[in-house]
Amino acid sequence: MPDWSTVLDFVGLYLIPGLVTGSIYALGAIGVSLLFGILRFAHFAHGDLMTLGAYLALSVVTGFGWPALAAVPLAAAGTAIIAVGLDRAFYRPFRQRPTIISVIASFGVMLMIRSAVQLIWGVQSLEYKSGIEQPLVFFDQLRIQERHIWIVGATGLLVLALHLLLTRSRIGRAMRAVSDEPDLARVTGISTERVIQFTWLIGGALAATSGVFIGIDSHIDSYMGWNLLLPVFAAAILGGIGQPIGAAAGGLALGLIEELSTYPWIGDNPLVSPDYKTGLAFTIMVALLIWRPTGLLRGRQF
Amino acid sequence: MDTGMILYLLSLATMTGLYAILTLGLNLQWGFAGMFNAGIAGFFAIGAYATSILTTPPAEDRFGGFDLPIPLGLAAGVLLSAVLGYAIARICLRLKSDYLAIATIGIAEILRLILRNEAWMTGGNRGIAGIPRPFEDMEQPWGELCFLLLVAGIVVVLYVAIERAWHSPWGRVMRAIRENEEAAEAAGKDVVAFRAHVFSLGAAVMGLAGGLMAHYLKFIGPDATEPILTTFLAWVMLIAGGSGNNRGAVLGAGVIWVIWSGTELLTQRLPPDWQTRSSYIRVFLIGLLLQIVLQRFSHGLLPERPPRPPESDSG
Amino acid sequence: MFRSFGKLFFILAAAAVFAMPAARADDQVKIGLLFDVTGPVANFVPPMLDAAKLVVDQVNAQGGILGGKQLATVVADTQGAPQTAVDAANKLVNAEHVPIVVGPLLSGTVLASAQSVIIPAGVVQISPSATTPAVTTLKDHDWVFRVVPSDAYQGPVLAKLLIDKGLKRVALTYANNDYAVGIAGTFRAAYKKLGGVLSADLQHDEKKTTFRTELATLAKNKPEALVLIAFAGASGVTIVKEALEGGFFTQFVGTDSLRDKVLIEQVGEQNLKGIFFTSPSSPPGTPSMDAFEKAYSAAFQTTKDKLFIQQVYDATFLAALAIQKAGSLDRKKIRAALRQVSGPGGEIVGPGDWKKAVDLIAAGRKIDYQGASGDCNFDKSGDVAGVIGHFVIENGSFKQVGIVTP
Repeated sequence: MPDWSTVLDFVGLYLIPGLVTGSIYALGAIGVSLLFGILRFAHFAHGDLMTLGAYLALSVVTGFGWPALAAVPLAAAGTAIIAVGLDRAFYRPFRQRPTIISVIASFGVMLMIRSAVQLIWGVQSLEYKSGIEQPLVFFDQLRIQERHIWIVGATGLLVLALHLLLTRSRIGRAMRAVSDEPDLARVTGISTERVIQFTWLIGGALAATSGVFIGIDSHIDSYMGWNLLLPVFAAAILGGIGQPIGAAAGGLALGLIEELSTYPWIGDNPLVSPDYKTGLAFTIMVALLIWRPTGLLRGRQF
Repeated sequence: MDTGMILYLLSLATMTGLYAILTLGLNLQWGFAGMFNAGIAGFFAIGAYATSILTTPPAEDRFGGFDLPIPLGLAAGVLLSAVLGYAIARICLRLKSDYLAIATIGIAEILRLILRNEAWMTGGNRGIAGIPRPFEDMEQPWGELCFLLLVAGIVVVLYVAIERAWHSPWGRVMRAIRENEEAAEAAGKDVVAFRAHVFSLGAAVMGLAGGLMAHYLKFIGPDATEPILTTFLAWVMLIAGGSGNNRGAVLGAGVIWVIWSGTELLTQRLPPDWQTRSSYIRVFLIGLLLQIVLQRFSHGLLPERPPRPPESDSG
Repeated sequence: MFRSFGKLFFILAAAAVFAMPAARADDQVKIGLLFDVTGPVANFVPPMLDAAKLVVDQVNAQGGILGGKQLATVVADTQGAPQTAVDAANKLVNAEHVPIVVGPLLSGTVLASAQSVIIPAGVVQISPSATTPAVTTLKDHDWVFRVVPSDAYQGPVLAKLLIDKGLKRVALTYANNDYAVGIAGTFRAAYKKLGGVLSADLQHDEKKTTFRTELATLAKNKPEALVLIAFAGASGVTIVKEALEGGFFTQFVGTDSLRDKVLIEQVGEQNLKGIFFTSPSSPPGTPSMDAFEKAYSAAFQTTKDKLFIQQVYDATFLAALAIQKAGSLDRKKIRAALRQVSGPGGEIVGPGDWKKAVDLIAAGRKIDYQGASGDCNFDKSGDVAGVIGHFVIENGSFKQVGIVTP
């Protein structure tokens, strides 16, 4: 029976950080997954949408003096609208073309968003709020940052809201139709363009939220989203392409695996050396692709 | 035209040639076999590091430094890339195109991480310096010219070889597989083997590009294998030039590299107060120009053969 | 959307790109700045460009260069990778014909550009910040210089400082970039030799956003301090914050990469008690450092203590001095002149003393530039010995409290 102290350490130092990282991955992965299901291309500019959201929130924070969490709705709305605009300008022309062209276009959009951010906000590393935040302490040993509770909680709520949206609302059902049976959906008169726009709105909003959470938990810089792009893709694959709730689960799983992998399960040293943490995400992703390409949640409808 | 300008143009042409080789390798995988490789960085890195480790003089803090002749180093890189490509292809071939893409990204990133972390073998972040370059003892600009001719020669040889292969019986089988995989299988062709061979060949060519690049730069480090400068750039060059099209691959390499490098000559002309921001403006310009090229020439700059995506069902 | 606009754009772009390089105004002298503007160290570059601009402004305000001509800089971006560094170097050296190059900043881009372009073309390159020992041993025919001491130097100094302060058991973590790995390597060896014990020794990925699990490993076995070799703006501040919040460490030790104002701003001085740093510096009491700080703050009203701005300033100022001393844009003459103006020996000239230097040169007198980052006396490999300072935080900024010698 492991002693209480070790358990608390495990929870506070590995489990909860894993949930936080996982939440950030989850929000990004949902957007990627939705876009892939409905538009059928891997959106490489998604990371930079996350970056954009974080910076928009920064402007709100410095402009109005609100705390970062309060700035999320505005940042999400702004990013959502910009995402729709980007689609109209750069992706819509290629709807009928092979998806590879949209992928290449998204590479270019990625460069444009990043350099625009650098031009407007500069390249310094920035923060929403300076200083240290003292954690909440339970049982004399378990330290939990308040902001982590917010991040994980908000993510849970958002995922729940998304699930309800996709299962209960008209637009949600339309999205599922377009994603699962595009030809049928068109025949039954669903406006594909409307669905696509709505998908961009949601994808953009969630990406922005993820970006703000990154900024709250560590710091803001122009490469922050790009650095997370590949893990986010891995999470989307983990959950099964086109399955947004699966992507959320995938993100959570990936975050947990990353953090838990450095726990000294055997002996005194981390099981996986921390500088290979990122490699772990990819190894899992590749292994999954080879042995179970439909993802963890195969066959599950959202 | 003065020597300096000549040297600059030679370097532009050489880079174009090196990227043309990389893009031709990609076209083998995409244009021939319809396989979406998003892990070009990995094969490039293997080629570059293999030759660097083998051809440099001994270094105390690192494995390698066998001081072997350049052709041997290049050959080793090509071979290793081919083997890795074959292995990946056989394992991943059941995957649909987009899944293959993500699998190859994953493998490339793992490879790059190993190259960055295992400093005992690769020099880690320090990289490997002092890589020999063919013709480097000749005086300027003749040394650079000879190297360019070497690269250009390789491009020509590859181009001719690939075009001939495409029109050979073997090429016909590949085309049949691309157009209708089930029919080809029914006709008794081992689809998986064919595809794996092509993928491996493409990987080998990418390894060659990486090796030549290492010799040209005389230095290799993890930053040289950045996905943006390898995977991304090669794909952009291929699609912009006319995907599935060897001539387009070479032309795309030239146009995109000139855009990539030449836009700086533009932004350098900005007034000095803009100097700090000119580099970001330049990146923005590259992204924008890419959109323009894609939209204006959406079938590629040389649309001889419209791109044919592989058999893909929905989802 | 882009149909006809695209065509027009293409024609214009093609014309501009292949037009002859902008009229090489004969009344302008250009110094090439080969900087890693985009890429891994992007956030450090803007203040460095300001430091270079300070030189340009001072020179032009004090009479210009080479008989009243305007000094200017032209920037080429290496993008942080070798192949683009070679391309950028080519643009500067061969297309723009600059007589001298300042930069690059990263060890990798220095080695690539040096071997491919700089040395074959025969032009002086002064790096402000590349610390890899490989530059010392590079067969460069004396074209490659740097104004920052190799990290073969700072590691042992850091080790000695720790031992002197009685910290015999520490944890070490360093970022996965060439700067940090280099110093960590030399530090580790020296510290162990002096009898120190590393209770934990971890490389971390600076691109990650959280390091709590690393800290858990580092804090095991209760070491006395955390030696943190990382850039403040990348992983440094996050690690310090998480260490404090999680109760892992209170005593931190850093190098110049952590000695960044952003650390004080984002963590708060009150939380950083006892922290100290090693950093390349000038001997205390030299007016050079103060002169530079004053001029820089006056011109840019930004906070002080940005990374490597002293080195960039010195490299650029030295470049200008070398051109002036050579009396022409001849690259070979400039190489010889660089050694002459950097000292040792001669009348002392410091940051901002442009007119004084010009007059002395005109009068045929030898000068010795003492810079904001150190005395800038090049040895036969083009390196500087440098002086490592011991810094603490006081009143919201960094204060040098001593010099450490190994």
